[in-house]
Amino acid sequence: MNGQTITRYYRNHRKATVTATSGLLYGGGWSLGYLTSFDAASAAVLVLATVVGGYDIAKTAYHEVTNRTLGIKTLVTLAAVGAVVIGEYWEAAAVVFLFSLGSYLEGRTMRKTRTALQELLEMTPDTATVRRDGELREVPAREVEEGEVVVVKPGGKVPVDGTVVDGESAVNQAPVTGESAPVHKADGDEVYAGTVNQEGALEIRTTGAGSDTTLERIIRRVEEAQEAQSPTESLIDRFAKYYTPAVIVLAIGAYAVTQNAILSLTLLVIGCPGALVIGPPVSIVSAIGNAARSGVLMKGGEHLERAGKIDLVAFDKTGTLTEGETAVADVEGFGVADDEVLALAATAEKKSEHHLADAIVDAARERPTAATDGGATVVQADDTDASLQSIPDPDDFDVVAGKGVIAHTDGHQVVVGNRALLDDRDIDVTSRIADYVREREERGETVVHVVRDGDVVGAIAMRDELRETAPGVVAALRDAGIETVMLTGDNERTAAAVAEEVGIDDYRAELLPEDKQSVIETLQGEGHVVAMVGDGINDAPSLATADVGIAMGAAGTDTAIETADMALMADDLERIPYAVTLSKATRRNVLENVGLAVLTVTVLLAGVLTSYVTLAAGMLVHEASVLLVILNGMRLLRH
Amino acid sequence: MSDTTQFRVLDFDCPSCASTVERALSNVDGVEDVEVHYSTGRVEVEYDDGVADPDAFAQTIENQGYTPQPA
Repeated sequence: MNGQTITRYYRNHRKATVTATSGLLYGGGWSLGYLTSFDAASAAVLVLATVVGGYDIAKTAYHEVTNRTLGIKTLVTLAAVGAVVIGEYWEAAAVVFLFSLGSYLEGRTMRKTRTALQELLEMTPDTATVRRDGELREVPAREVEEGEVVVVKPGGKVPVDGTVVDGESAVNQAPVTGESAPVHKADGDEVYAGTVNQEGALEIRTTGAGSDTTLERIIRRVEEAQEAQSPTESLIDRFAKYYTPAVIVLAIGAYAVTQNAILSLTLLVIGCPGALVIGPPVSIVSAIGNAARSGVLMKGGEHLERAGKIDLVAFDKTGTLTEGETAVADVEGFGVADDEVLALAATAEKKSEHHLADAIVDAARERPTAATDGGATVVQADDTDASLQSIPDPDDFDVVAGKGVIAHTDGHQVVVGNRALLDDRDIDVTSRIADYVREREERGETVVHVVRDGDVVGAIAMRDELRETAPGVVAALRDAGIETVMLTGDNERTAAAVAEEVGIDDYRAELLPEDKQSVIETLQGEGHVVAMVGDGINDAPSLATADVGIAMGAAGTDTAIETADMALMADDLERIPYAVTLSKATRRNVLENVGLAVLTVTVLLAGVLTSYVTLAAGMLVHEASVLLVILNGMRLLRH
Repeated sequence: MSDTTQFRVLDFDCPSCASTVERALSNVDGVEDVEVHYSTGRVEVEYDDGVADPDAFAQTIENQGYTPQPA
């Protein structure tokens, strides 16, 4: 070890070295005084311990004073100097040593909380292999331009956000979405920087690099969330502003009355409400950091504290409890060929953006050719795949929100919709049709009627498979003492069948989009603290109305993150019980920390004022309480 | 022109230390806005790039006894 390395080592471990030296000197000084009669020597060593340990503290105190802030280091310096002045060398050295040790440990543990997110960022590789001018080049990942093609080898990390243009692979997206299972990626699929390509080589057209990637955006949001003050934190901050000056006034007052210097100096030492100020932020930062690593974005302490009170979770059905991939399960023609029913419905629905419309159009495309109505021409215009049927455009079409569509094609009027739409238009439904509809609905399917020129010619039953995880999630919430409700636009029978399959406590059916919001308001009116889980786009109003809005599958969709209080990066329903129990644990943790801090301050104040607690003991308890709340808060990192 | 720079200070050991650094930075010439977050250790400085020198910010943080890292 040469001089330079020693200097560097010292600079990097200054706090530890200073603390240890001051501790050794303190121990030596104390032993000298206790075991021998060299009182002067003992005093000298103790003063040296105070100076060594106190130099950095005093320097910061000087900055505090010149910047006109009132910090704990000023108070500690005053107390130590005061103790030396009145000849209490042992107390002075002890206060300085204990404070150094405490803040060293505090800094170390806080560093762990502060770097919890950093690990996520380190998932992004520093360099990328880019195809430029026909050859592959290694460039810094931040310098990849939008539109450039990046090659990622099997086992390599994805350096940019982009779209797959060549290759096929399984990608582990855990750093971004928290999903543990790899996701299959092929042509046209989106991939995120920081994810790991596990199987084949992928070529990716860059859509974002450097700080403009989903992962970086998520981390920025998480940090903002961690920094946003919760109501408890702002309350404590306001209190702390008055507490410290009040204790100083008390210290001066106490000296004036009792002439007891030790008492006054001890008051200074405990004059910083350390544990109270530090506890809640540590709990919240740890919880938000933990959530981020599991693919759950929490918008801030305020939302987290509210989420801790949730006693009811409302789920939107489609895309939340179900896969959101509705497919046609059965087509039934009444006096008309099944295929003709499907073709008619597909034309009428072609321009609609409803998810049921997509299912019908997809099913019609995949039907074997030459089965359409004589009038409908079969042209392979905009369909690239020759094996797929082409669907003719309707002449015109109107959407009746929550009910269906009315279109014209080939001189016919076609209505595709639910029973309510047919009733509105006085269209008769025969008992045979009604029986068919009831039977399908009792299986949890959604049925639309197809009407041509006023006659019901058929019905189409569609099915949206339940997510495999849904029943388990509902059960886990029930175990945690939380009620569940399903909200859906489906009719009563379909809703009842799905609700039973999921095992959900309650359901509300036949809701128009805006009804969902009022259902939430009603539940809140009944005294529930309601969380609403939805996709964050269609459900934006109800997410905003709920006490806590939880958006699913939010990676890549900024709107969802904007409206929600919490966002699940992946479509992973199992994160819901996790997020809810984490919020509850956080709320409990914050209360524990506040309780512990208040108890400490009360006991200390009482102890000091009755002269049971002096400088060193006061400092010991103070530092111990600070470390205790930090360690307690950090438990949330491992929830 | 206004510009923004960030640092990360991992060794804040008390909330009041963060406030002290915030005060110190806001006293640097040309600094328009400073945010120092104790819980994340993030320091954000908004400054007039015609007046202030970003290198001076790191020095200021170091003078207060903390280690700034680029963020």
